[in-house]
Amino acid sequence: MKRWMMVVMSVVLVMAVGFGLVAKPFVIAFMPGIADPFYFTMEKGAKAMAAQLGPDKVQLIVGQYPATWGPDAQVPLLDALMARGDIDLLFTAPTSTQALIPVLKKYHDRGIPIITVDTYLGDGDYTKASDYSFPLSYIGTDNKLGGEVVAAQLAVLLGGTGKVFLENTNPDTSSVMDRERGFRQGLLGFPQMELVGVEYCLDNQETAQAQVANALQLHDDLAGVFGVNVFSAQGAHAAVAAAGLSGVVKVGTWDATATLIEALKNGEVDFILAQKPGEMGSLCVQWGYEYLASGKTLSVPRKIVPGFFVFTKDNVNSPDSQQYIYSK
Amino acid sequence: MMNPKFKNVFIRVLRRWVFIFLGLEILAFSLLGTNFLSLDTLQNILVSSTTVLLLAVGETFVIITGGIDLSVGFMVGFTGVVCAKVMVTLQAAGTTQAMAIAVGIAAALVVGLLPGFINGVLVAHLKVPPFIATFGMYGIAYGCAEIICNNVPIHDLPSAVGPIGHGFLFFWVPGKLFRTFVEPSGLSSIDLKHLVSLVPNLFLITVVFTLIFGFILARTRFGRHTYAIGGSIDAAERAGIDVKRHLVKVYMISSFFASLAGVGYVLRYITGRAPAGSAQVLDAVVAVVIGGASLYGGKGSILGTFVGAMVLATLVLGLANLALPTYYAYIAVGCILIIAVLIDQFSPELVHKED
Repeated sequence: MKRWMMVVMSVVLVMAVGFGLVAKPFVIAFMPGIADPFYFTMEKGAKAMAAQLGPDKVQLIVGQYPATWGPDAQVPLLDALMARGDIDLLFTAPTSTQALIPVLKKYHDRGIPIITVDTYLGDGDYTKASDYSFPLSYIGTDNKLGGEVVAAQLAVLLGGTGKVFLENTNPDTSSVMDRERGFRQGLLGFPQMELVGVEYCLDNQETAQAQVANALQLHDDLAGVFGVNVFSAQGAHAAVAAAGLSGVVKVGTWDATATLIEALKNGEVDFILAQKPGEMGSLCVQWGYEYLASGKTLSVPRKIVPGFFVFTKDNVNSPDSQQYIYSK
Repeated sequence: MMNPKFKNVFIRVLRRWVFIFLGLEILAFSLLGTNFLSLDTLQNILVSSTTVLLLAVGETFVIITGGIDLSVGFMVGFTGVVCAKVMVTLQAAGTTQAMAIAVGIAAALVVGLLPGFINGVLVAHLKVPPFIATFGMYGIAYGCAEIICNNVPIHDLPSAVGPIGHGFLFFWVPGKLFRTFVEPSGLSSIDLKHLVSLVPNLFLITVVFTLIFGFILARTRFGRHTYAIGGSIDAAERAGIDVKRHLVKVYMISSFFASLAGVGYVLRYITGRAPAGSAQVLDAVVAVVIGGASLYGGKGSILGTFVGAMVLATLVLGLANLALPTYYAYIAVGCILIIAVLIDQFSPELVHKED
């Protein structure tokens, strides 16, 4: 009897150890768009989900953060990441709607599923046949809707009338161009409001500041500014504050960095549209894992849209809002 | 004293330190990194090196004459923007994609000769120090690029640009098919997984021009004159070389290579950006200098420059493989440059040994 138990126990033990070795975790790679609080927060969300699923299920590998925005900074780092050769699924924010198509297609062809997060390829519609419809899914904010919300919010602050300026960043990037489209669309509802200019700072905060400062010079009756991402918004805020026009020129911003939250508390920024980068990262890992675990048969929605949150002076200090602030 | 035979070997080895350095680099990253020693990594290094290698080949000619060309950085952006702008304009005008791409590339290469010509005239005829003349051109090229692209990257290029820039010379599915240049279409997903792509187009183009100009430098009268001018302008003039004319040609070669790099940038990144390549000037000069060229002129080779460019590309991709931030590369490159120049300066024996 005892010997029989011993045998059973050793078999169980051997099998347990064996499974431990055999059950290799899926390797999911994340290639960010640029080193900024938005993507740091995304990584944090992804890591949290990977930890929740367990190290025996998912191993998350994060590529080097590109120092600047653009395919010339991102592609070599992405290639270096993928050359590791052990990656089962990639989620990344393509830094160009066009330039990243052949790069990501190559990895897709090798059997590595791709999720684009925050930004997309082509026009982002992966449901219709095209040379860029190969990604599993796009997980990101409804940027056009966000742009409309910002337009409406500015209109409320300005009583539906006045000149506004748009500080944008990269014209070949899906997310921010959708914000511009949404903003223009939203302004159509307020015929008394006029968009007097759009500039592109290419994710350089100093450029953004100079461009907004110039707009303030050109239009001394400028009533509002919208900065569409971390760099454009922080630059726009800095320009308005430096001109001593805080409160006079309404500043609508996007992306809840610590800098902008502080500025909102000081009254130098009027509202912030916060995306949910942590949730995006978390969703990428979750859907990615489930897709791989299903033997790549699971049908993943081609577009997954986490919502956003609008910070104002009234809610910025409330405990419930704090979770939406970006952090490293 | 040191055994003269041993000393001779030692000097020979030290003179080729960059080869040893490259070997050590590859060894270190292979041991520390993940799957660094792979076909993928090798081809990534070759493709990543193309911009710096092209700039460095042109720069080698200039440095051998005792000059320097700082304009090449923004020349990449300038010619890239010209290339992209012409392509987009022709496409909008309704020409075929092939025509738009061909004319775009040709335009960039032709326009790119002009700054080199001006640099050459300034340096050779008007005696402006090369550092100043080409530094001025650096700013001019950048400004012109920004004007042409209206401060916004040029995108929506013809859709065939990507497949060219990301294409390969050979496509091979082991045991099934072998193609050159055109990626086989309609492959099953299993065949696609086994598809091996060899020799990236960008590297192929780079290597062809590198070989041609390597030959010119090493084996032709033009090359000999280049070394002679670097050795001593006076002696070269006394020997009957038209130094001024030669220098203009050398600066034009440099800007031609910068234009090639600009075209390569457009093909790989499917966009024209004014600041493209500005960060690569330092790398190009470093590649030339660690490749054995002397900033005092008269010395250098394309093979050395090639290895120098590989050292830099390996460094960048190796750091990426280790997931270490890119800025470590800047520090490393800066240190390598200074050490290389120190070796050049404090070893007259090495200099004189070079014939």
